[in-house]
Amino acid sequence: MATETTSETGVENGTYGLLGVDRTDTILTYGLYLIAAGLLVFLWIPLLVMVALSFMVNTSTLFPYKGVTLSNYAATFADSSLMMALFHSVQIATIAAFIATVLGVLASFALARYDFPYKELYRTLGILPMVIPGVIMGIALLMYFRSLLSVTPGFWTVVVTHSVYGFPFVLLLVTARLYTFDRSLEEAARDLGADPLTTFRDVTLPILAPAVGAGFLFAWIRSFEDFIRAFFVKGTMNVLTTSMFSMIKYGTAPKMNAISSFIVFVIAIALVVAMNLGNVTEYVAGTEADE
Amino acid sequence: MSTGHTSETRRQLIRAFSSTRRRLGLTVGPSLVWLMLLLLAPLSFMIAVSFLKVNDAYQIVYEPTLANYGNLFAGSGPFWQSSFFQSLVLSYELAFVTTIVCLALAFPLAYLLARRGGRTFKVVIFLVLLPFFTMYLVRAYSWFLMFGSNGVINSTLMTLGIVSEPVKLFGFGKFAIIVGLTHAYFPYMLLSLYASLDGLDFSLVEAARDLGASRIETLRDIIVPLVLPGIISGSLFVFVPSLGAFITPRFLGQGKVLMIGQLIENRIDSLYAINYGGAASMFIVVSIVIAFALAFRYVSIEDLGGI
Repeated sequence: MATETTSETGVENGTYGLLGVDRTDTILTYGLYLIAAGLLVFLWIPLLVMVALSFMVNTSTLFPYKGVTLSNYAATFADSSLMMALFHSVQIATIAAFIATVLGVLASFALARYDFPYKELYRTLGILPMVIPGVIMGIALLMYFRSLLSVTPGFWTVVVTHSVYGFPFVLLLVTARLYTFDRSLEEAARDLGADPLTTFRDVTLPILAPAVGAGFLFAWIRSFEDFIRAFFVKGTMNVLTTSMFSMIKYGTAPKMNAISSFIVFVIAIALVVAMNLGNVTEYVAGTEADE
Repeated sequence: MSTGHTSETRRQLIRAFSSTRRRLGLTVGPSLVWLMLLLLAPLSFMIAVSFLKVNDAYQIVYEPTLANYGNLFAGSGPFWQSSFFQSLVLSYELAFVTTIVCLALAFPLAYLLARRGGRTFKVVIFLVLLPFFTMYLVRAYSWFLMFGSNGVINSTLMTLGIVSEPVKLFGFGKFAIIVGLTHAYFPYMLLSLYASLDGLDFSLVEAARDLGASRIETLRDIIVPLVLPGIISGSLFVFVPSLGAFITPRFLGQGKVLMIGQLIENRIDSLYAINYGGAASMFIVVSIVIAFALAFRYVSIEDLGGI
């Protein structure tokens, strides 16, 4: 759109071209594109190098080039303790995201539709888990479980920790959807004789579903990728991130490149699916109707 | 029989949601209890521990003390030579630089995205979001491959004959950490700025230009004031996690520099020194509260959520 504006003013006011204002605008526009392209390179290059290395015989630097192999992947998927950790991560993320979604959807209705005392305080409390640095949340929960409650950290302590961590993401997405919700649709259903439950099931829920799904997905990914909170409250068990961390504690590892690249592939596919369903773009860019 | 049962359940459910108090209890109640038990209670406990005596076996003795805070700055030299103070200053420095770098880099891209819609937008957003959704640990690790005297950047430069020995800048240290943190938190800044810029009425910009304002003046007097909420919330979402970062400085500092998150992790993980960790964490918690209090003078909590 930037270039369009320039040419319009140029036509309206012919002197601009003579004074060279047009050229400055063109240079600025190309400058913007250049910065944007540079940023994308910056965001992508380390990941691309890592994916390339995962297929190479030489595992830490590109040169000297020694050839292509799939043995890194074979070794990774044959590593039973790593696969066990991956399985734990998937289990934990699923249970935690489920808890976060149930609590988050209920809380969103309260925030979007009802008035109650200390509402803003409650909203702040709900967003807090997203904001507190992982180190702080991790050690606070570790102290709490170990020294106050005398609970042995393990699978379930990670689950509840991640359910709190995922909560704000569900809350933000679902309240955003509820604020733009046209309540006359619900009233119409009620006027036509549907009881509140039918209205909720047939009108409210279908409209809300994409936001709830996106919230679940966000909470799931947050849990799956979290290292620091899990690191403190996991006890002797391992999740994927913590076993990856111990793999590279003392340097690079061929398996690390392979498992990391595998995750990039999986997330790329998940993101394409999610974006085509419209959930993720809506979160960042508003609904299609807005544009 | 079964239908009778379901209609009974239905009636009960409808009744449960028909009274305002019950409805509030059902919607607010569960999450409130959950957040009290798993967020407020642990944080309060940590604050309490930071003011309590802890014996040599790291068991809490319920006796108030300020010694934990004094011990943070204790050492052979004056307080500014203590490892805690140095880490604290370094963390502020790196978080601040990262925030500025993110702001400078994200603004042009956010501006471009706000002015161009459609397909380009979808593709660019995908390209930005994919690295963002990729595991944080993986992103830090991918930069770990790039940096270092034997890292990809240095070995490539040397193979190509551009330099004869490793460039120090591309070794592990502050620069590497800033690059890693920028890579990690850049999308927060981008999305916050985009949300603000997208709501901006660009005819105002054109009006200012038509009335003779220069580009710099337009940016300073029109664009920046209008997107200030986005700038503030984006900065907050970069600064706060950078301040407490752990993995990025752990991988990209390689022990050469120690940020506060690493220092706390060290003491807790190896020693379970909860009094030291608790007191040190309080500095981050208080910094965050101050940062938010400052931000709330300009934006509301809804703006921070990107809604």
